[in-house]
Amino acid sequence: MRTRSETVRLEGHAKQAIETGRNRLILAGCLIGLAFVAVSARVVELSALRNHSEPALSASSVDTTLTVGRADIVDRNGLLVATSLRTPSLYADPKEVLDAEDAAFRLATALPDINPAETAAKLASDRRFVWLKRNLTPREQQQINSLGIPGLHFFDEWKRVYPQGSLTAHVVGFTDIDDRGISGVERSFDDVLRGGREPLRLALDLRVQHIVRQELAQQIATFEAIGGAGVIVDVNTGETIAMVSLPDFDSNVAGQMDPDALFNRATLGVYEMGSTFKIFNTAMALEAGTATMRSGYDATNPIKISRFTISDYHAKRRWLSVPEIFKYSSNIGSVKMAIDVGTEGQRAFMAKLGMLRETALELPELGRPMVPNPWRPINTMTIAFGHGLSVSPMHLAAGVAAMVNGGIRRPLTILETDTPSPGERIISERTSHDMRRLMRLVVDDGTGRKADAEGYIVGGKTGTAEKVGGRGGYRRKALMSSFVAAFPMQKPRYVVLVMVDEPKGTKESHGYATGGWVAAPAISRIIARSAPLLGVAPVDPEAPEIRRDLMIEVPVEGGKRLASF
Amino acid sequence: MAGGYHFEGLNPPEMTLGQKLAAVNWLLVLLMGAIASIGFAMLYSAANGNFSPWAFRQAIRFGVGLVVMLSVAMVDVRFWMRSAYIIYSGVLALLLGVEVMGEIGMGAQRWIDLGVFQLQPSELMKIALVLALARYFHGLTWDEVGNPVNLLPPLLMIAMPVVLVLRQPDLGTALMIIMGAGAMFFLAGVRIWKFLTLIGVGIAAVPVAWQLMRGYQQQRILTFLNPESDPLGSGYHILQSKIALGSGGLFGKGFLEGSQSHLNFLPEKQTDFIFTMLAEEFGLVGGLGLIGLYVLVVGYGIAIAIRARSQFGRLVALGVTTTLFLYLFINVAMVMGLIPVVGVPLPMISYGGTAMLTIMLGFGMVIGVSVHRDVRIGRAGVDED
Repeated sequence: MRTRSETVRLEGHAKQAIETGRNRLILAGCLIGLAFVAVSARVVELSALRNHSEPALSASSVDTTLTVGRADIVDRNGLLVATSLRTPSLYADPKEVLDAEDAAFRLATALPDINPAETAAKLASDRRFVWLKRNLTPREQQQINSLGIPGLHFFDEWKRVYPQGSLTAHVVGFTDIDDRGISGVERSFDDVLRGGREPLRLALDLRVQHIVRQELAQQIATFEAIGGAGVIVDVNTGETIAMVSLPDFDSNVAGQMDPDALFNRATLGVYEMGSTFKIFNTAMALEAGTATMRSGYDATNPIKISRFTISDYHAKRRWLSVPEIFKYSSNIGSVKMAIDVGTEGQRAFMAKLGMLRETALELPELGRPMVPNPWRPINTMTIAFGHGLSVSPMHLAAGVAAMVNGGIRRPLTILETDTPSPGERIISERTSHDMRRLMRLVVDDGTGRKADAEGYIVGGKTGTAEKVGGRGGYRRKALMSSFVAAFPMQKPRYVVLVMVDEPKGTKESHGYATGGWVAAPAISRIIARSAPLLGVAPVDPEAPEIRRDLMIEVPVEGGKRLASF
Repeated sequence: MAGGYHFEGLNPPEMTLGQKLAAVNWLLVLLMGAIASIGFAMLYSAANGNFSPWAFRQAIRFGVGLVVMLSVAMVDVRFWMRSAYIIYSGVLALLLGVEVMGEIGMGAQRWIDLGVFQLQPSELMKIALVLALARYFHGLTWDEVGNPVNLLPPLLMIAMPVVLVLRQPDLGTALMIIMGAGAMFFLAGVRIWKFLTLIGVGIAAVPVAWQLMRGYQQQRILTFLNPESDPLGSGYHILQSKIALGSGGLFGKGFLEGSQSHLNFLPEKQTDFIFTMLAEEFGLVGGLGLIGLYVLVVGYGIAIAIRARSQFGRLVALGVTTTLFLYLFINVAMVMGLIPVVGVPLPMISYGGTAMLTIMLGFGMVIGVSVHRDVRIGRAGVDED
């Protein structure tokens, strides 16, 4: 028999046990409740507050890519530039493969380009899914089917095909094996192409593109250059009619290309453009009113500033009028014109022209201009003749378009457009007219005579810049020779730019590798061949209305001399 | 003895079968039926709108399970307490049996083929261990629980099945057994500092455990940490599951309309990944709704545990409830990428007999505890006398 006190003590213990048990039970309940809250929160996060990476993944790999394929890309005339073909891809479920070695060996008879040892290792892995080869031809599929190897399956995929091969390489770019745009238009319009059924229409004209590429390639070969760029832009709409960068690559096999070939010199490369910048310099001075077509500058002696000497390539050692400065490409005269406008004025003008930021072109490969900072007076002087400010060839083409089309700058576009941007006025109608006369003068009777194409009233400007060397100085032998032209000068429609990277002089060019020798002839041939395709009719250059429109009265030398006294 | 009479006087008289049936928590039975019905619907959908091969057979199993559950509930808890060690030993023997004569299924030896159906003793062990531990701790006083020596027998009871399950190898079930048992230790009054020490030792043992893990287990953990590293290989399950979950949105794509699951992007959709399919077809609302049902069941289990007068009943109720909770939590957390893929089914919903039977058997005991909640049980496992 227990005593009363024993019972109480036992009950006390029991109570404590029960008390602890209850408390712990409630605590356990709370912990379980917390776990439920955590799980519910995760459900909410995953299904309602969509994590951006996952739906994007699901959209790319499942929803559109596998079921509809990418939309086509066509040129402005509707010619096919890129399309998608449905092709089978081979994969295996290694669990179903009976004999990996044998299967790989037999597979190699149908697909000679696969590595049997590697494939055997894949088939022997403990995964449930391995790709063996993507995008087979129907014949390959037939052969594999007739091998009858268990565990091999086909999966229909879309393969991107570029019928134009390397012709449109840098414009169109390419996609990766999962059909995602990697470069060019394929990348910048990836979403549109993925979702859309309508073909994407480019501004490009494949026929003109072909001419530009051919002529550029010929100049590169002749002058043993390392590369080049060629561009045609519609001055009234900003449409890119042709854009070539050499060396280029075949979009169909882009993955195996040399990185240098993937580099787009026309948009991504930024270079000191040299004398072609005098177009902007002259327009700036005329627009600012610090110079007129009749004013002149003393170009007798080179300008010395600290350790630099600025001299003329075609030195005349006398006073030069503004048209002469332009015609003879006088650095000294250009610098003096820029000094009159001033550093701030120059910077503002360049900014307005869009030379200080990336172009509006819808491509991922856009080069950012190298802008001097701070912008000192010495920069003002060098930028006057195109050094110290590096821009891409597309910048130059867009800028020249604004100089000759009446003074309106429009953003460049790679797509065909019926409703061009209204644009922004940079210079007056009158200054633009003066610039057309000056550019015509260069081709008519200046450094750019080789650029003329009979009947198409070509105007333009040469540019020969020494490339910046690895150690910061200029490499005298490494040139960037260019020519930027517009035609027809009485009412310009297109700007044509050819730039050749590191040409070497030849016997025919008397050792010269300048823009006038290297790039100008290509301009002439490109315009002569493509103008008919672009609907530009030839005219008689001697027709009175054209002569009057583009005539320049070059002031007599003596007059200027006298004026200096 | 006087004390004995004193206690016996508080024990209610034996209940008749009718009284017991009336005392059954029918709401709890209804909740489980609701969850199982969602399971039938999902299995119907997983078969692209067919009752075969899964939904129909699952419904039959549920029917059998229902009978088992109610029968178990009718049996006096004292019987289960007396038989606890025998049941435990029997299941342990079965577990040993799979080692000897187990059939290879899905790369792991887990089943005994009983001819009619394949038995997975590791599942039954979850309930058997709950019973055995409940009986053991029922016999200990608060002070005795405080003595570490008294914790050695239950640790051994846990260790034996865990080692056998790990040999199969089935890491998920082993972890579940350990965690379920841990919850019972906690409830039985094992001092908190012992848990903390054990957790500390556990963390310290991680590098050692890593060395002992099999390649595929290591791979699963690595994949869990970074599923994107191998989206077509081991990361495939988790990525596809997350994509399907995310694609469901707020209200889902509709019954039978889950494209990720029906196009077979989602693997194992009728078993381990069935929750993902539910969330794809019924969205956030469906997913949270199902979790809500489980919360009610678990809450019910905890309430029964609180109301139980005997330590045995309380421990059984909590042990079974924790088992259900662990099934659910591990499965849902797994398909959502919160924890590595370990192959634990969604209780009552995933296709498969043993898991359902385990849960229903266990909840039969929980209901039994509730029906017999006022029965007092002495330390030795018989009526106090």
